[in-house]
Amino acid sequence: MKGIVFTEFLEMIEDKFGYALVDQLLEESDLPSGGIYTAIGTYNHAEIITLVKLLSQKTNVDESDLLRSYGQYMFSAFTRSYRPFVDRSASAFDLLSSVQHYIHVEVRKLYPDAELPHFAIDQPSVNHLRMHYTSERKLSDFAHGLIEGCLANFGERATIVKTNLIEDGSQVLFDIVKA
Amino acid sequence: MEEEIELLKRRLVREKTARLQAEAILEKKALALYNANEQLLHLNENLEQQIRDKLAELRESEQRYRQLIESVQDIIYKVSPNGFFTFVSPVVEKLLGYTEEEFLNSHFTSVVKPGYRKVLIDFYRTMMSERQDSTYIEFPVLAKDGRTVWIGQTVRLIETYGQIEELVAVARDISDRKLAEMELETTQTRLSTLITNLQSGVMVEDERGRVILANALFCDIFQLPLTPDQLVGYDCTEARQQVKQLFAQPEQFISRMDELLTGRQACVGEEISMANGRILELDYIPIFLDASQYMGHLWKYTDVTEKYMARELIRRSEEKYRGIMNNMELGLFEVDNDQIIVRSYERCCQMLGYSEAEMVGKNAIDLLVPAEFVGIVERQQQERQQGIAGSYELQLTKKDGSRIWVLVSGVPIQDEHGTVVGSMSIHYDMNERKQLEHELARAKQYAEEAQQAEKQFFANMSHEIRTPLNAIIGMSHLLYDTQPSTQQREYINILKTSADFLHSLISDLLDMTKIEAGQIEVHARPFDLAGLLRSTQKVFEMKLQGRPISIDVLLDTRITNAFIGDDVMLNQIIMNLVGNAEKFTEEGQIQIIGKVKKEEADKSWIEFTVSDTGVGIPADKIDLVFQKFKQVNSQGYKHKGTGLGLAITKELVELQGGTISVRSQEGVGSSFTFIIPYTKSKVQVEQKNNVDKQLVMAEELKTCSVLVVEDNLMNQTYIGNLLTKWNVPHIMASDGKQAVEQAKKQPFDIILMDIQMPIMNGYEATVAIRSTQNPNQHAPIIALTASAMLDHKSIAMEAGMSDFLTKPFEPAQLLSILQRFAPSATIDSEGCILFHKALDRKRLSDLYGTDAAYASEMFSLFLTDVVPDIRTLPGLCAAQNWPVLANATHRLKPTLAMVGLSTLEERMRQLEKKARQDEDKSRLEADCHSFVDELDKMIPILETELQMLSQL
Repeated sequence: MKGIVFTEFLEMIEDKFGYALVDQLLEESDLPSGGIYTAIGTYNHAEIITLVKLLSQKTNVDESDLLRSYGQYMFSAFTRSYRPFVDRSASAFDLLSSVQHYIHVEVRKLYPDAELPHFAIDQPSVNHLRMHYTSERKLSDFAHGLIEGCLANFGERATIVKTNLIEDGSQVLFDIVKA
Repeated sequence: MEEEIELLKRRLVREKTARLQAEAILEKKALALYNANEQLLHLNENLEQQIRDKLAELRESEQRYRQLIESVQDIIYKVSPNGFFTFVSPVVEKLLGYTEEEFLNSHFTSVVKPGYRKVLIDFYRTMMSERQDSTYIEFPVLAKDGRTVWIGQTVRLIETYGQIEELVAVARDISDRKLAEMELETTQTRLSTLITNLQSGVMVEDERGRVILANALFCDIFQLPLTPDQLVGYDCTEARQQVKQLFAQPEQFISRMDELLTGRQACVGEEISMANGRILELDYIPIFLDASQYMGHLWKYTDVTEKYMARELIRRSEEKYRGIMNNMELGLFEVDNDQIIVRSYERCCQMLGYSEAEMVGKNAIDLLVPAEFVGIVERQQQERQQGIAGSYELQLTKKDGSRIWVLVSGVPIQDEHGTVVGSMSIHYDMNERKQLEHELARAKQYAEEAQQAEKQFFANMSHEIRTPLNAIIGMSHLLYDTQPSTQQREYINILKTSADFLHSLISDLLDMTKIEAGQIEVHARPFDLAGLLRSTQKVFEMKLQGRPISIDVLLDTRITNAFIGDDVMLNQIIMNLVGNAEKFTEEGQIQIIGKVKKEEADKSWIEFTVSDTGVGIPADKIDLVFQKFKQVNSQGYKHKGTGLGLAITKELVELQGGTISVRSQEGVGSSFTFIIPYTKSKVQVEQKNNVDKQLVMAEELKTCSVLVVEDNLMNQTYIGNLLTKWNVPHIMASDGKQAVEQAKKQPFDIILMDIQMPIMNGYEATVAIRSTQNPNQHAPIIALTASAMLDHKSIAMEAGMSDFLTKPFEPAQLLSILQRFAPSATIDSEGCILFHKALDRKRLSDLYGTDAAYASEMFSLFLTDVVPDIRTLPGLCAAQNWPVLANATHRLKPTLAMVGLSTLEERMRQLEKKARQDEDKSRLEADCHSFVDELDKMIPILETELQMLSQL
């Protein structure tokens, strides 16, 4: 897992709860990386699961809610770091449609070792988009947050219905209908 | 605070560690970038070299290809995706005549033959849309000189990055192949059409006995439930076993098939009977390649049932007719145009005694026709050549030299083009018939001669029989003046009665014969009915003088005008009936009653009744009175009759459309009633005074004048002498025209008129005299004619003549005519001249009586005038001037009787008859010559007679 996921996660906790909680999390979790992350490095993805679990215990917030919030936060982080990707899309659906074939393709050019989820996307009508999420990381909540972040970024409103296609969450369908 | 510092320290450590970690990563990345850059630089250099090498290689290759392209015979060209030529190899000019420049930038369809363009465009559109790599198609193009060139081309798509760049085509001139293909296709189509439509079942078998071709009819004939295509590949040997039951003789069929297959000899027109009664004609044709390599064979089955039946019918019919021909009594043979016998049928051979072999090849004329018939045959042959059939009779010479009469019916024989190639003669053996015919002809001749003789007999009856009878009657009258004793007087009475009876019998017989022969016709003309009845009354009044019988005429007052009808017939009827009444009445009354029974617009039915107070007719006999030869004379009445009188009367009434009946009471009397229709006449007929004149007695005669109209000099002399002798002044006229002229000049008491005369005949002259204003308009005219036929009297009467005298007549007849119509003198007829026995003595006595001077003159006249005329007859024959001959013979005929040559007179009559008839006149000339010869023999006798007469 790319280091930016960790660095931004810890940034968000510091913003919302202060660095003491960050420190507490890093101290209490026995992490292989020792809690030291750089955005351009690559780390075991199990560490983020460990961190989210611990944070959930500390804050009494559901893991899924935490991941969803983190997704929303992450998208605004992307708008800062990767502005051109956002700017070339005219709408949220435009951007979401290009995730698999454009954004992830570009990501792999920069980080050949990146492990990315797979999205199958279709658009039955102008205001309707279906995104089929497949990933062994089972971070669909994080994806959910990112979608919401994207819609918010374009100032659009939509109903997102998330359906687990496989119980373990490795395959999930997002049915997005714009208001 | 402590804790906070601890926290910050931990954070700092983490940040620092993270930075070092990041720097290490970056350092590693930078090095990797540097190495990558180095490699790229090298790669670039390498690539540039490679491109240069490749380009050089490419140019070389292109050069090679170009040379290759230019050297091949196929046109290689490129077109843009929208169809325009971008490249074309130079060979195009050689193949199609267009230059490369002409091609470039033109559309690829511009040279394609119209009609194929759309197909091609569609074809290549499909190719492009389906991204087919390579395609092949054939189509015709138009060369620059207008030729059609067939092109077969392979086209490849050239794509770059999924875009069609261009199309590359290799086009080849396939015209030769295409033409060969098309020809082959045409031939195939023709052959398959031929085979399919052939009116025969066809099957071709290969050398291994497999079907390779068949048509539908073949399947039909053998009732195969397959289409011809399905049949292909079948094993024929097996199939034959399956269908053999369809043949009338299955095993024979199979063995014949095997025989043919083994022999491999073509066999055509073999007839095979099928079980269903049809007849097939089989052709077997083995197929050889290069005359030796056996490639199978063809079977052809044709249903020839109809043809077979027709032929069978013809054969049977021919057999039948041959049987008829051979069995019938007709001999047939055929000759070609040169009269060479080509065929002779059995019966003909029998008829002629030759065998067919003896006749065929011989000239029919030379072999069979006697010399005198060759002409006939040749004339017939000419007609045959013109296609005309004909029949003729001739004799043929048989093998044994005897002759046979045959009736030949010759028919031209024509070939299929209508050209006469010969003729067929059908000969009917008519030897027997010919004999029969000959006998019949003789019989007919006899019959005709007999008939002629009979006619002659009747024609001469009046003269030949009546004349002696008249003499007898006349003599018996004279006998009364010789102071006979009572007994002699009684004998004379019987003699006279018998002669009278004989006379009336002959007259009645003659009339009856004529009526039955239909020779009596009704001649209607206006007449005075009342006058006719009154004159009859007067005749009988005289006859009944001294007997206690009165005769009365009672006439209907309406009978005033004249009627049109046959007065001659009516007169005879009345005379017969009144004569009858007179015969059977002793005393009392005879009544003639005439009244109008029925009146129509233009017709009056007049009822005549003749009644008497005589013996009457017994009731049981009354039905017999009108029958021929039935006499109702029960008491042997003193008056005998012929038994014909009433029968003739009845016939005459009925001839005029009338009816007759009788009522009678025995001992009281009889009453005959007849009704005749008469047409009413518009003109009033002059009351005839001749009736009165009839009654004038000879002693009351005064001098009268007579006009004699006669062209014959001898007759002129004869009549003239008689008249001179009787002191009757007369004038001669030689023809009708002269007569009319004479009649205008002075009144005559009587005109004697010959009928047949030159210029104007007697009838015409009479009509002329009667119809024009002249002193003789009402003078009695007496016809003189050589014809003895009674019906001529009617013609004479119609012409307006008053009576009739048949030549040659005796002086007494002429005298009686003169006495009847005019005053005349009596004639002394004592003494007699004895003529030569070779002459007709009787006739001459009748003619000349004792008048030797008259006879002498007539004989002299005959020898000087008539004989030279007779000698001209053969000349007229030779000139074939038949009408003149007929007139001459007619004119000369009576003169022969004048000199007693009755036999020659008869022969002259025959000559006249032949001259008038249309029949064969070939013998007439010979007859004329022999006539003259006969006459020459008689001339010395006539000369001696003349000498004797002149000495008397």
